[in-house]
Amino acid sequence: MQVAKKVAAATLLATVAMTGAAMAQEENYRFVMVSHIGSNDANMGWLTESLKTFEEKYPNVKTEYISTNNYSVQEHVRLLEQAIATNPDGIAVPIVDSDAFEGPLRRAIEAGIPVVAFNIPDGRPEGERIPYLTYVGGDEYLTGLHLGQYALAQAEAGNIPAPTGVVCASHDAAHQGLKARCAGMNAAMEGTGAKFEELFIGAEPAAARNTLQSFLQANPDTNYIFTVAGWSSPWAWDVANDMGLSPDVDNEGVTILTVDEAPVSIEGIRAGHLLAANSQGFWLQGYAPMEWLYWNKTLGYEPKADILTGPVIINAENADKWAELVRSVFGDEEYDNQNTW
Amino acid sequence: MTFLRQLAKSAGFGSVVGVGVMLIAFTLIDFSGWWTARTLSNVIHFTSILGLIAIGQALVIISKEIDLSVGSVYGLAGIAFITLEPSLGVPGSMAAALAIAALCGLAQGILVVWGGLPSMIVTLGGLFTFRGVIYVWTGGSVRNFSTDAREHWLTRLFGGEFLGFENALLWMLLMLAVLSVVLKLTRFGNHLLATGGSAESAESRGVRIDRVKIATFVICSLMAGFAGIITLADRPQTHVTIGDLLELEAISAAVIGGCLLSGGRGSLIGAVLGAFIVTSFRYELIALGAPSSWFITFVGIVLIVAVIFNQKLARWAGHNV
Repeated sequence: MQVAKKVAAATLLATVAMTGAAMAQEENYRFVMVSHIGSNDANMGWLTESLKTFEEKYPNVKTEYISTNNYSVQEHVRLLEQAIATNPDGIAVPIVDSDAFEGPLRRAIEAGIPVVAFNIPDGRPEGERIPYLTYVGGDEYLTGLHLGQYALAQAEAGNIPAPTGVVCASHDAAHQGLKARCAGMNAAMEGTGAKFEELFIGAEPAAARNTLQSFLQANPDTNYIFTVAGWSSPWAWDVANDMGLSPDVDNEGVTILTVDEAPVSIEGIRAGHLLAANSQGFWLQGYAPMEWLYWNKTLGYEPKADILTGPVIINAENADKWAELVRSVFGDEEYDNQNTW
Repeated sequence: MTFLRQLAKSAGFGSVVGVGVMLIAFTLIDFSGWWTARTLSNVIHFTSILGLIAIGQALVIISKEIDLSVGSVYGLAGIAFITLEPSLGVPGSMAAALAIAALCGLAQGILVVWGGLPSMIVTLGGLFTFRGVIYVWTGGSVRNFSTDAREHWLTRLFGGEFLGFENALLWMLLMLAVLSVVLKLTRFGNHLLATGGSAESAESRGVRIDRVKIATFVICSLMAGFAGIITLADRPQTHVTIGDLLELEAISAAVIGGCLLSGGRGSLIGAVLGAFIVTSFRYELIALGAPSSWFITFVGIVLIVAVIFNQKLARWAGHNV
């Protein structure tokens, strides 16, 4: 009798488990990416394209990409709260401001919604940071550091001049990520004897050119320009070229470095205008958070470390391959349109 | 003596004094850095672009209104010029860009005058709306300007150089001369000053203040659009942020140049000199090693000093302010 009961219970359990497994296989999920990268930023294409690929792989998952154009932390928090109110199965969000995002994200996590940080982590120590599953993205400090180290290696090889003055030209004086890029470059240049300056050029092209030209006139020792946005690199090249500072990549004059796997950065390298740029793995920053959310929901996986998707140095040796990759994401027409050289 | 007295009472006198004091100060503290052909060329080039926008802004301020949208209109016209070029060619895209700028001004003018809405609110809406249009239209990245388009004679006419001077400077001087004549010597200019001085009084004397104000908004947007085209004809590598915050520099330039926000008094030459002061300060602050983000602080201080000085000057000249 006891044996019969056990067999019956085991049969019932197995049936329930199998039914559950079958249901889990068919269960539909909805993951939301609440981004600060809006339609005014060409990098949005990487993220939306990767979400499409993810949906193709997992037809039972619906992904949503929401963002704001006129960026403000308040607007971003509002979007996040709206997204949480719809009770999604997972959220991916950049921690642009840990104080502002802490409340809503902690409430979401306590309500059982898994959260993955992407693009920007919570910069606080591990015990203090928002308890998200993991961070998927680049490291802004390492971006500046490795680009600086790459430039120094090229200088040592005799391909470009050794640095005498380095300016980190930033379009946003308050952006912590951009400041971290500059800090990384500064760290790389320590010990070279080169003077390092961080210059706020603003985002308005004519004013930025005016500011950068003023700086280069007043600081003639400057021979490395690091633009922390790919789209501002042609402005820097233009200014240096107008001033007769020989900005192309060779063993004289000014050397320009930039960031991003954007067409303007890649084509600047291929044309010999820019020494190098970096990729922070934008495509992966869209895809990988979704994969981790899915694995968390279906398998319970909880990664115990951050997942870095960059930096990867883009230089004259690999720029052709990068061009192929980026063309495959953006399409030939869009790629050519974005090459403003 | 009478001439000097007249000059001292003119709206732009404050900016003349400002430029004089500034040049003396820069000469004393940074003679070798300031008085170089490269420095002056850099400062004058940007002054020309900002000056074009500031001239339009000055006209609107003289009419006792304000236009906060000029930065976005400047950007939208520039983006239209580049984006429409492949389908319309350089002349067509230039005309279309100017038409778009004029439409922006017309729409805002109508809303202000016939809608009875404050220009600050309407043009603030314009600032966001036109910037939003840029974002949606471009998808975040501005297309490139083809080599053929860059070498087109019309592009070179607006963006090239002549006798070692950037064409932007020559266009700015031409527009300054034309609009100064319009303001000082034509019926429209007279009506504009009268409208800004006292709308009721002007209306009682038969001035169609609605038409005057709408026309002024259109001219202001056209000037901003024209500046955008000139900028991109010269340097076509741009971004969706084109014109970002330029409205504040343009308003500052106009006010530093002697335009009273209470209307009826202002100087187009003063607005250009105001643009020169704003741009020069940016250079000199950087040259002196100050963080470039201090520029905004200095513009704010100069603006307040200029308003106080210009108000005192206007009262001395017999204006009610």
